[in-house]
Order: sequence, then C-alpha cells, then structure tokens
Amino acid sequence: MPDELTIDSGALIFATLADVYLSSGMIDEAISILEDGLSRNPQYTLAKVILGRAYYSKNEIDKAIEVLEDAYKTAKNSENANFYLGQCYKKLGEDDKAIEFYEATLKINPNNEDARKELETLKPTPVQVEQPELEPGAEVAAPEEAEIEPAAPIVEEQEKTEIQPEPVIEAEEERVEAIALPSEQIEDKVEEISEPIGAAEKRPPEPEELAQPEVPFVPLEALNASMKRLLSIAAIKGAFISSKDGLLIQSYYKEEVDLEEMCAMIAAIHNEAEQSFKFLREGDVEKFLIEKENETICVMAVGESLLTIVTEPEAKPGLLYVYARSIINEIKEILG
Amino acid sequence: MKLDTITKIPKVLGAGIASTDGFVIESQFTVGYNAEKSAAMAAQVVNRIKQSLNIEKVSVIFYTQNSVFFIKETEVGIFFVTCHKDANIGLVKIKINKIT
Repeated sequence: MPDELTIDSGALIFATLADVYLSSGMIDEAISILEDGLSRNPQYTLAKVILGRAYYSKNEIDKAIEVLEDAYKTAKNSENANFYLGQCYKKLGEDDKAIEFYEATLKINPNNEDARKELETLKPTPVQVEQPELEPGAEVAAPEEAEIEPAAPIVEEQEKTEIQPEPVIEAEEERVEAIALPSEQIEDKVEEISEPIGAAEKRPPEPEELAQPEVPFVPLEALNASMKRLLSIAAIKGAFISSKDGLLIQSYYKEEVDLEEMCAMIAAIHNEAEQSFKFLREGDVEKFLIEKENETICVMAVGESLLTIVTEPEAKPGLLYVYARSIINEIKEILG
Repeated sequence: MKLDTITKIPKVLGAGIASTDGFVIESQFTVGYNAEKSAAMAAQVVNRIKQSLNIEKVSVIFYTQNSVFFIKETEVGIFFVTCHKDANIGLVKIKINKIT
C-alpha cells in the first residue's frame, strides 16, 4: 500500500492504511500518514475523523477536538465524528457537550453500544433516544431505588429530568436536520472501516462492565460473518488477509498460527508470478492454487490485498471459490 | 509424454515440458504462443515456490485475466499447460494428473 501512495499522490487510500495502522496501535504512523494525506486532500472528511480518533488515542484532546469539529461541519451525521467528540468532551469534563454528542451518535445509530454505555455513565436515567417526544417535565420512575431509599434518589432523578430533557431534545432536533445533509457516502465509509475504541477510555469499573468485558477492536469486523461461514467448511484450516507487500492484515485461523513468514512468502510468490505473467502479456494474476502434500493454499488478489485460504488436500476448490467470491467483494468494499 | 492428450482438449492453447533452468524439453503450442517464454516463466515460478514454501514437488494453477496456467513438477521436468480462461479446468487437471 505505501507503494500505491507514492505512485498516486492524490490517492485516498491513505485513510484506509492509517486506519489499519491505528488499529494496530501505530498511532504516530497513522497521524503522519493522515496529516500528509490531508495536506493533499484537505476536504477528505473520513481522513479527518480518523485523524481525530488518532489524536484522541494519543491523548491530544485539543487537537482531536479541532480536527473532529472541522469534520463535523461537513459530516454532521457521522456516527464516529459525533462519538469521538463526545469522548473528547467527556475527557475534558464537559459532560453536557459529551451527552449531546452521545445522544446524536445514538440518534444516528441506535445500536452503538459504546455511546449508550457512555451515556449511561453520564446520565443515570435509562437512555431513551428513540423516544424524543418524552415531555420535559415527565417524571422518570426509579422503582428499584425508590424501594431502598424512597426520598433522596427520586429528588435527584426529578432534578435531572427537569434540567436535562429540554436541551437534549433541541440538540436531537438539530441532528435530525443535520442528517438530511448530503454526506451519506462519507459516513458509510466511516462506518465500514472505523469502529469506536471506547474500550481505551479509563473510568471506574462498573458491575455491568465487569460482567461484560469489552470486545477488542477488529479492523475487518464486517467480514466476520462471511469468514465464519467459510471456516465452517470442515476441510478449511484457516484464512488470512495480507497486503501485497507481505504484511498481515487480518487472520482468521482456527488455532494460533504464526503467519508472518507465510504472508511474506505468499506475497513473494504472487509478485514473482505477476511479473512473469506481465512479461507473457497475460494480465494480472487473479488467483493461484498451490497444492502441497498436506494442504492446499489458495491465494486470491483483492485490490492491494491478498486473501489466502489454506485447506486440506481433499477440499473442493469449486466450493471454495463460491464462498471466496462473496468475501472478496466485501474486502473490496472495506479495503478498496 | 503424450502432450496431445492435453492439447486436444478444447481451448487448451498449449502444453510443454521444461527443464528446471527454463529450457523447453518438449512442447506443443498453438500458433502465436511462445513455448520458450512459458517454459522460462514456469521454471521461475517453480523455483520461487520451492524456495518460499519448501515444497518437494510443486503443483500450482495460476488464473490470470486472460488465461489459466497449470504448472506441475514431475520426474521428467516441469510440466506446463496454458489454456483459455473458459476451458474446462477440471478436465485439464484430471488429464494432467493422468499423464504425469
């Protein structure tokens, strides 16, 4: 992928590469790529959102807010821009602003569990973003707490419901207007390759969190369902995605396997074959199948990545290709 | 080795045997296809795979934009077949396994 960047200085793939770096914990590399890329493509909102996330991960909150607010101007309905702005303001102790952005995040995607959890920590009342018609003065029942301490908690709850609903509803109305703005394509991309990293946020552990530990970030999470289907075929040992320069992107091996060497070897074979076939004027190598004594290695080129599926020798290649085709399309959507 | 059992399959463009250093030992190719280039390429790819994956006898199928290439290392040398993308790949594979 770095080669591609040098070939086409205007390429937008830098955001994807930076996202992968960021997911791998290489924050400085991600920031460097994003800053460089944004200097050439200053209007690329997706890159700004990822840069904001990178600054947030690096604990440079002021810079993160600056970048994310800039992205927010053109992509008000970006789930990730809203979520990370919420995270930043929460870190600065500006809870009201944080709540506003978490509410907006949940308005865009009601299934965003990270935003819901953050909101629950900031607002003890149950999150009800799907019911904006809730009247500002309405009492919020807290039956369990009322049984234990009848007086104090109810007063607290009432105070909060009296103060909070009005601005929240206003904020939500603003978001509804914002959602109508034409930046859906940017948001789709953001949703596909970025995932909230709320797990990194440090706060006092709550019983609910202890019971349900947060799942670590998986860059190609969208592929999990398809890969699970593929790996359910008995003869398939495992699969992995690597870049054409031999770096592992994602592994779907059933057991722990050291794939670094394998990735490098597969990339070397692919590059050698591609050069040879270009010499023969037969076009690019789309896929190849190496038959070993104990296993068969099937490698498929997907844009700048290689999908490798390792199977038992008796696996049916036709079936493999059918499953692989749908996965390839998904990888193309995510990694380009 | 009876190369014509392979080359008579529809849309097979040619077949041949190369030495490990890429020289043609025997070949039967349709007019317009260069057996020498294919043999050199087959040997280069086989050597790379052997080096990378430490395989004793390499057997590999390459699918390119225009064609499909079968390369199989045998006792005699490196057996290679070039066919059109629309050829019956399964049938070619069976025939290759039979004659090698």
